[in-house]
Amino acid sequence: MRLTTKVGTIVKLHSVMHPAAGGVLVTLALLTAVGPASAQQEYRVDLTAERSVTFTSSASIEEFEGVTDRIDGMVRLDTSALNAESGGDGTEFFFEVDLTSLDTGIGLRNRHMRDNYLEVKEHPFAAFGGRVARAAPLSDGAYRITVQGVFGVHGVEQDRAMTCDLSPVGAGYRVQCTFSVLLSDHDIEIPSVMFLKLNNEVQLNLDFRVIPVEREQ
Amino acid sequence: MKALMSRLAGLVMIFMFFAGSGVGAQERPERFQRREAPVAIPVTVFHSTQGANLPTAETLSKGELLFEISHRFLPAVADGADALWGFDGPVYNRFGLAYAVSSRMMVGVQRTNLHDNLELNAKARLWETRSEAALVMIGAMGGIAWNTAAPTGAGADDGEGQSYGQLMLNVLVGERLALGVVPTVMHNPVIVDATSENTFVLGGHAQLYLSQHASLLAEWIKSPGRAGLEHNSGTFGIELETGGHFFKVILTNQARMNPTQFLGGTPFEFKSDEWRVGFNVTRVIAF
Repeated sequence: MRLTTKVGTIVKLHSVMHPAAGGVLVTLALLTAVGPASAQQEYRVDLTAERSVTFTSSASIEEFEGVTDRIDGMVRLDTSALNAESGGDGTEFFFEVDLTSLDTGIGLRNRHMRDNYLEVKEHPFAAFGGRVARAAPLSDGAYRITVQGVFGVHGVEQDRAMTCDLSPVGAGYRVQCTFSVLLSDHDIEIPSVMFLKLNNEVQLNLDFRVIPVEREQ
Repeated sequence: MKALMSRLAGLVMIFMFFAGSGVGAQERPERFQRREAPVAIPVTVFHSTQGANLPTAETLSKGELLFEISHRFLPAVADGADALWGFDGPVYNRFGLAYAVSSRMMVGVQRTNLHDNLELNAKARLWETRSEAALVMIGAMGGIAWNTAAPTGAGADDGEGQSYGQLMLNVLVGERLALGVVPTVMHNPVIVDATSENTFVLGGHAQLYLSQHASLLAEWIKSPGRAGLEHNSGTFGIELETGGHFFKVILTNQARMNPTQFLGGTPFEFKSDEWRVGFNVTRVIAF
């Protein structure tokens, strides 16, 4: 039996349950839910390094950007380091962006974004969580990883896959991702009054670093 | 026993399903602890930096420029079709520029064609707070003005200079109703007088935000009555806003535009026969 959760975590269970195997099944199931106990490496966003999350809206009259550095998150691999074997059910990632901090360059427009469209009072964060599907090596120790999970903003979640490039920096990696979001997919009203036109499709660019977390002995 | 084990296995599966779902986008996984405090939502009472006439305590963000063009039509709406219901003009107009030297401080210049009144001003957002009951913001503003085309009057030889200082006390009640009180001390309200005086003026205004883009506004300024400026100033209208623009359309018995002018009172009584049309347009420009 394969049980696929909302974020794509896949859990394998015996397809046939024998009564005598009940206790074993419970133990196995719990172990599986926790995941492998070895050969894991976790990375977290380096808060001391430069971080940026940029959205770009190409409107009919003007193009503008919103920028913030308030991204935090973690990645847990099922291998001791990032390599071509990384990826699968034993991995996990979660990133979130503080939307209140978005700066579009005009204070009044920021307030419009916060209050009218993103409604940050009710939905303060955009978040993306799920698993690493695969890691493909590039040159010079870099990898292109594909992640699958649920992207949520404005209280509406969508299953998404995303590709990010990771290039080695020190013990960690610089992470760069680009993807687009349809505002209508997340019930975000598209401003169309008077002077401001916003495209339904918004381009998102993420650029930050992750550093390994020391494993507890 | 068999049934019990079967139920237990089912419960485990349900648990695992929801445990996995807990990694969902808006729910943080257990192993993730956000290390930075969430950014606080800035306090906003009035959306614009000014009402129809009175200033609000709101300021621009650092480095932003505010451009304004405003008109007050002199014919009354009640003049009817012959005056195109007031739109025929002539008009008093005002051009203004304000610059935010910080996120709490603005400096500005504004000129109106009435007496060629040229004003330099400064405004500061002093304090704001958020509570469950209301949002409060307090600011202060001051300005000096010169009237380079002042009318020749009763021997005014004290110059055409004027000045004022005022506080802006703003409160947002609930989600939609913004209230403001603006006490002002002004020097030399009547430039044609031979002597200068100091006077106290109390203004109040309210704005009801109907939607993301539209609001109703009203304003009342109580000025000491004096010859030629016998009446208090009343204004009401609508405001449309979007992405850095504010567009106000008003009816008012006050046609004078710069603070040292409208704070002094108006010759027109606040009744429908004397209402004039006016508009304010402001645009925030960021470099």
